[in-house]
Amino acid sequence: MSDDTELLERIRNGATDDFTELVQRHQSRVFAILYRYERDAHKVEDLAQDTFVKVWRALGQYDGRAPFEHWLSRITVRVALDHLRKEKWRRNEIGLPELGEDSLDWLRSGDEKNELDARAASEILDLAMRELSPADRIVITLQEIEGRSVKEICEVTGSSSVAVRVRALRARARLKQALEKLVKP
Amino acid sequence: MNEQKLKKLFTAAQNETAPVPPAHFAGDVLRAIRSEKQNPLPEAFSVLEQLNRLFPKLAWAAVIVIVVGVATDFGLTTAGIPNLSDGISQISSQWLFAGNGF
Repeated sequence: MSDDTELLERIRNGATDDFTELVQRHQSRVFAILYRYERDAHKVEDLAQDTFVKVWRALGQYDGRAPFEHWLSRITVRVALDHLRKEKWRRNEIGLPELGEDSLDWLRSGDEKNELDARAASEILDLAMRELSPADRIVITLQEIEGRSVKEICEVTGSSSVAVRVRALRARARLKQALEKLVKP
Repeated sequence: MNEQKLKKLFTAAQNETAPVPPAHFAGDVLRAIRSEKQNPLPEAFSVLEQLNRLFPKLAWAAVIVIVVGVATDFGLTTAGIPNLSDGISQISSQWLFAGNGF
């Protein structure tokens, strides 16, 4: 986005206040990415703030070769990954929340044609994905929920395409196992 | 869980809307940045830089250990007690060769 280039130039030249404009332009995207990994809206806000502070610190490293949005996505995903690593440890301590009745009914039903709303689907996936490693969760979320290509996932995660493909396959198999485990009493 | 059901789960999850950033969000970010500018984070040092900083202290510690060793050895020799290398050779000959009939 050419407007971002001009805006970034102004910020680099000392117009700190213009950073708010940059935040306002991209905040929805950052919130959307982070919400895939954290369901608590307050925590999402904290993580988004953390992301933009990191962007501010690293602004000198952005060389403009890739669109700013891609660079921002990479930082956001890294913040999410760090968060998942911390949360994994904490969740092991406090245990898992339980699924709602609608979600459980859908999971137990043999008919996949049954309707499922977005909230219930995210609730199920959030719980099942806790069985995955943070890196596996990031890859499967980027691929299956955000619909990103392997090339894009490589750019965001900094992994090779072989590593991404292998991780995605493994994560998918583990996710299936985790989903089956959820319906067992 | 079959593939079709898993696909349905992913598709449904794609439609979930994220929370809307609050109106004060951009202002909060700017405040956080300003407070960081006023109170910058402590500079991070690499292992080599930390070793360089510690070098004078490490050098002095090494000198003290050497001086203490030499002084102890000298003191023991003066007092007629076998010095460190004699003592070690005595102990090793007792341990290694006594069992073999030497």
